[in-house]
Amino acid sequence: MKISVLAFGLMTATALSSQALADKLDDIIASGTLRCAVVLDFPPMGARDASNNPIGFDVDYCNDLAKALGVTAEIVETPFPERIPALMSGRVDVGVASTSDTLERAKTVGMTVPYFAFEMAVTANDKSGVKSFEDMKGKTVGATAGTFEAIALEKSVKEWGAGEFRPYQTQADVFLALSQGQIDATVSTSTVAQANVKTGKFPGISVVGKAPYDIDYVSLFTNREEYGLINYLNLFINQQVRTGRYAELYKKWVGGDLPSLSVNGVYR
Amino acid sequence: MFSYTFHWNQAFRALPQMLDGALVTLEIALLSMAIGLALAIALTLFRLSGNRALSGIATAWVEVARNTPALFQIYMAHFGLGNFGIHLSPFTALLAGIAFNNAGYLAENFRGALKAIPDTQTRAGRSLGMSSLQAFRYIVLPQMLRIAFLPATNQMVWAILMTSLGVTVSMNSDLAGVTQELNARSFRTFEFFALAAVIYYVIAKVVTLAARLLAARMFRY
Repeated sequence: MKISVLAFGLMTATALSSQALADKLDDIIASGTLRCAVVLDFPPMGARDASNNPIGFDVDYCNDLAKALGVTAEIVETPFPERIPALMSGRVDVGVASTSDTLERAKTVGMTVPYFAFEMAVTANDKSGVKSFEDMKGKTVGATAGTFEAIALEKSVKEWGAGEFRPYQTQADVFLALSQGQIDATVSTSTVAQANVKTGKFPGISVVGKAPYDIDYVSLFTNREEYGLINYLNLFINQQVRTGRYAELYKKWVGGDLPSLSVNGVYR
Repeated sequence: MFSYTFHWNQAFRALPQMLDGALVTLEIALLSMAIGLALAIALTLFRLSGNRALSGIATAWVEVARNTPALFQIYMAHFGLGNFGIHLSPFTALLAGIAFNNAGYLAENFRGALKAIPDTQTRAGRSLGMSSLQAFRYIVLPQMLRIAFLPATNQMVWAILMTSLGVTVSMNSDLAGVTQELNARSFRTFEFFALAAVIYYVIAKVVTLAARLLAARMFRY
């Protein structure tokens, strides 16, 4: 009798402790749903179509990931500044949100290898007289708050010691302000710049050239301690490139030369 | 569920920057209050004037200011006017939005305060030989200010908290703007926001206490 009670106790304890060991990867598979944080005012990476459904490179990428995991994808719209609170409060499992992999941020979240790479372009109001990156000196410029390009551009403005920098909360607000002439120019990823100019929603602006910033490699992210999931995500990104799916999605949403996701001369 | 290790020292290192932001916040709140008070007095006089057009303007102002979100008012000051080629800087747009809001609420406060003073007092003053201006100046106005003072303090606190909406019009030098930027850089959302909340709380509390002390001195019987 006593032995059976003990055995039962042990079994329960094992069951409980093995449950406690279940990591996020297990949780996602068990729940049958993968919740991705995606920024939906950042075309062509994330946007909404005419019937308000989420579309874009990041949306397709999340769907591919869910398919690989054998679960259903759930797109959770998260503006740029809310990506981390969404993750930390457990509203999303993974960020597929064009997140630059800075060392500063990696202290807080776990970053995968790059899944996409952006080049930076200057877009200017046609009346501002800005024709290149150098012309931005002394002008009023803006970018989406908290992005790689916003941090770089604010630094440039400080170095120039002239002009003004304005961080807007969304990419759409940046282009609205640019189109109204509130700001003279902006730096954004070239894909986003072209996509926004093409929509025709923002008259009087054009892409005028490249910005001399580093290539902006962006990562998927999840909780820092979820090594199992990060491992899976890294392999997934590798497979996306290997199987040609990355090239396919790039052609579908962006077009042009496929950016390389590897850095020469160093391992990660 | 909540797996997050706090890095408080990183937040405390940014404290001087945040306190600089808090000064800007206080500056905007005080300016918006001064402008709001002046406008509110004008609006109250418009309403008392008996002139249809003037009281119409005042009523419309109060209605819009009190019945639309402050976020909308500030957004309109920046992007709304921007549509018509009028470009307000983030600072001015934020200040204009809050001052607009303050004026609406304060005008309503003044109206309520005036209503609370029975006009028999004015008549009593007049029967003592005061002119109508004197009766207003010496009998009605001091009482009106006394009644309206504490509600106006509430509006001041509200103005301080409203400055945090400036981030929507790209304001980056006030407390909310500085906090957002620190957050974007490091992703330490909780530390920076908690610290900002404490600073807002302290400012609001100090303002309330100062106003109470001031009221005790100014409105002694």
